[in-house]
Amino acid sequence: MSDLFSFNGAEGAGWSQPEPILEEGVARSTVPRALVRDRLPGWPRASEPELVRHYTWLSNRNFGIDTGFYPLGSCTMKHNPRLNERIVQLPGIDRIHPLQPDHQIQGLLTIFYEMQEMLATCAGMDAVTLQPVAGAQGEFAAIRCIQEFHRANGEGHRDKVIVPDSAHGTNPASASMCGYDVIEIPSADDGRLDLDALRAAVGQDTAAMMITNPSTLGLFEIEISEATRIVHDSGGQMYYDGANFNAIIGKTDPGRMGFDAVHYNLHKTFSQPHGGGGPGSGPIGVKDHLARFLPSPIASRRARADDDPEGVGDGYWYYWRDVGESSIGKVQQWHGNAGAVVRAWAFYRRYGRDLERMSEHAVLNSNYLRHVIMNPDPKTAKAIHAMPAEGAPADLVMHEFTLSLSPLKELNGVTGRDVAKRLLDYGYMAPTLYFPQIVPECLMVEPTETESKEVLDRFAADFHAILSEDPETVTTAPHTTTVKRVDEVWAARNLVLRHPGHSPDSD
Amino acid sequence: MVDQLPNLGREREMLEAMGMSSMEDLFANIPQEICRLDPLPLPPPQSEEEIWADAQRLLGTNVTLDDRPSFLSAGLARNFVPSMVGMLATRGEFLTSYTPYQPEVSQGMLQAMWEFQTMISELVGLPVANVSMYDASTAAAEAITCAVRVNNKKAEQRDVVYVSQFVPPHRLSVIRNYTHGAGIELRVLEHGWDGHIDLESAASAAGCCAVYVEQPSSFGILDAGLTELKAIVGGQTALIVGVDVVSLGIVEPPGNWGADIVVGEGQPFGIGPTGGGPIYGVFACSERYLRQMPGRIVGQSWDTDGKLAFTLTLSTREQHIRRHKATSNICSNETLIALMGAIHMALLGPEGLERLALRVAASTEATKLALTAIDGIELADPEARNFREFALLLPGQAADALKHLDEAGVLGGFDLGLWWDGMSKCLLVGTDERTSQDDIDALANGLASWVGEVQP
Repeated sequence: MSDLFSFNGAEGAGWSQPEPILEEGVARSTVPRALVRDRLPGWPRASEPELVRHYTWLSNRNFGIDTGFYPLGSCTMKHNPRLNERIVQLPGIDRIHPLQPDHQIQGLLTIFYEMQEMLATCAGMDAVTLQPVAGAQGEFAAIRCIQEFHRANGEGHRDKVIVPDSAHGTNPASASMCGYDVIEIPSADDGRLDLDALRAAVGQDTAAMMITNPSTLGLFEIEISEATRIVHDSGGQMYYDGANFNAIIGKTDPGRMGFDAVHYNLHKTFSQPHGGGGPGSGPIGVKDHLARFLPSPIASRRARADDDPEGVGDGYWYYWRDVGESSIGKVQQWHGNAGAVVRAWAFYRRYGRDLERMSEHAVLNSNYLRHVIMNPDPKTAKAIHAMPAEGAPADLVMHEFTLSLSPLKELNGVTGRDVAKRLLDYGYMAPTLYFPQIVPECLMVEPTETESKEVLDRFAADFHAILSEDPETVTTAPHTTTVKRVDEVWAARNLVLRHPGHSPDSD
Repeated sequence: MVDQLPNLGREREMLEAMGMSSMEDLFANIPQEICRLDPLPLPPPQSEEEIWADAQRLLGTNVTLDDRPSFLSAGLARNFVPSMVGMLATRGEFLTSYTPYQPEVSQGMLQAMWEFQTMISELVGLPVANVSMYDASTAAAEAITCAVRVNNKKAEQRDVVYVSQFVPPHRLSVIRNYTHGAGIELRVLEHGWDGHIDLESAASAAGCCAVYVEQPSSFGILDAGLTELKAIVGGQTALIVGVDVVSLGIVEPPGNWGADIVVGEGQPFGIGPTGGGPIYGVFACSERYLRQMPGRIVGQSWDTDGKLAFTLTLSTREQHIRRHKATSNICSNETLIALMGAIHMALLGPEGLERLALRVAASTEATKLALTAIDGIELADPEARNFREFALLLPGQAADALKHLDEAGVLGGFDLGLWWDGMSKCLLVGTDERTSQDDIDALANGLASWVGEVQP
């Protein structure tokens, strides 16, 4: 085990820096006496060669898309083109301050503007801001806009947000952070939205409904137009959770479905790398009636006047436009994750109008994988203890699908978690586990468009092999990973949240 | 032609396996009335070469902080990031992984984040840190909502939080958005004429849920009076302190003078200003606030063989489990940038951090000395000790001075009139470890020539 805090602190440890431009004593004297730090933090003392090896060792103990198939449903773990990483190293983005005047950042503003327009087009929205830095922050910002919209109309009494029971956890959490009561409505037996339950839930107090389409079960909500009519008739607004946007680009859009607001996940659909949990980027798009509530500022342009400084050469002058008094203000302190926006821009340029092909292949791969898993050849089928049930019975799924391992569990006690852990032994990341909560023993599988047929075939074959294995092998998995099953209960009970050798109190 | 789809050209084979004949069959569930029938009105796909050329051309028109002497800071640092930081953090196994829900194949990122938590804990003097917030502002905002959840029941001033008068308006705006839904009332903690917190009026904050102050302040002021704040507001009130993380190489960490929660902008460790993001917020707290903390936390544990292992813990606070009762809606965070921060901190080591802080302090002092030598220019707070930034009182509009400096090829700082009414003659000058004597001379000469014009 490589322990960061064990490096020996040889003289060459650390990192050479130039001298301060004034004498050290003068620099030190700028700190008021009562605020002088008398003990340096207990950080490691390590040299570059030691640290390069430490972090390489750590990376070897981590699984990414680059390592293998990563069918983590809802997270859209597609390939991350390396060009995008190269572009964000350019000083024209890396060395840019968000408060620089417009005439110094015409190139960046152009990219922001192009992205706003493209996202509005793809979702059928009228205005877009790129400020929210994660999907959940986009949800929060858009629900705040809807809240201010109702207030401006004298309808501030609307205090309920409706979400289906299959919704992402961020939906109720975001609504709740805005101060709303959350009403969860049950899904119909086929896993789709239950319009009767929706009709019973809406009323004078409905502020909004939050829903993703396709749903977290991977099903397209066929009755979405009727759902938006029901919510609009009650005076509520319709919010589209764009987590599953990868399934529908170019085929339909939230605008056509009747939505008023939407968030996009640039780290899912547009391939900003997930980075072990972030960064993300969660722009929001709205229809005209909500545009004056968006967070400020938004990239804008006008025809370039003769006395304007030189722009990027396309005849326009780009600038940050303040949304005005009615804006909800800011959700991130600057203009959002500009670096993620630039990566997503490079990704979008790679597809252009063929973003439609991207969605087609995402849906093709998902249906194909589901088909191969659910239809083993007779010899394979004979060896399988119990086939999984479909999370929702349907002829077609969109970009992802759910499997219920209940039949296996009932037969021999092997759970969804066990199968997920066993998949790690076969060199795959496990699918999303136990979500959506309405499917028992659920595995949620999203292959994305960047996996080849061979990978999908192999995954299905390995999945079948696991379903045929001796239960003991599966319930004790994983066997070949860097560590075996980790005791999460011990971690929560003992809360060892930092290196024990260093404590702020131990001088 | 798109070059990112391995199954391009093999659609028929895959469709036939499923008994389908066309790609349209896959979308048969989308009702006709909401189908898009025309192609997307977007340009054709581009090759890698073309995109790279366009990116270079567009981003190449930007003026960067490295192109000229730059004194624009205002919450971000024109830092120098060691070469190994980006190279190691963007190894594919880190870059292309997601939240480590499967600890058995995610020990690398989990351990790196546990080490990050340890280094942040050491830096700020508090026992617990999380794996990052979006930025300093959301960290401050969620620290406030966290503190209210913990303290509200027993607070003498329920739902009330005091916030320093000079928290920058964009941060205050984020705080307002995040605290609005919880029904939190924000009141102003006043500063005196000298820019320091007014400790007498701070007594009115006693018994409220939380107090939020920054050290250094927006004007770069190091305020020794803040060390008395905890005693004034009392044990049931959270003292939340926003810090400049680099300053803690020479400035006493707030955890050692009573802070219950410390937040700040992590960007100086790990990544360039990047147009304002991705950056990361630092969040650390005392045990009292741990269970109401937002964000992810890594804990140490063991595997079934008794081998040391790491895992996400206290997940029952989080949205994917607790839904509308979660402590925060945060899901995607800024882990990769926090990893860059961890590598940078590890490479600095304690003495390297101190050296870095001393370099910034020296730059601040040297710039202050040079600019106050100009007739007609004064410090806005002449008695104050500053770190990284300081405010100047000019003989004319700061906007005019910045325009003059821009024409002279100097990025001269920030016009405080954009943040606060009545401060249009105040220029916020920001320095960093890379500020050179030549930079300072360029700024001083530019300002002197402008003063000569406005004050003949």
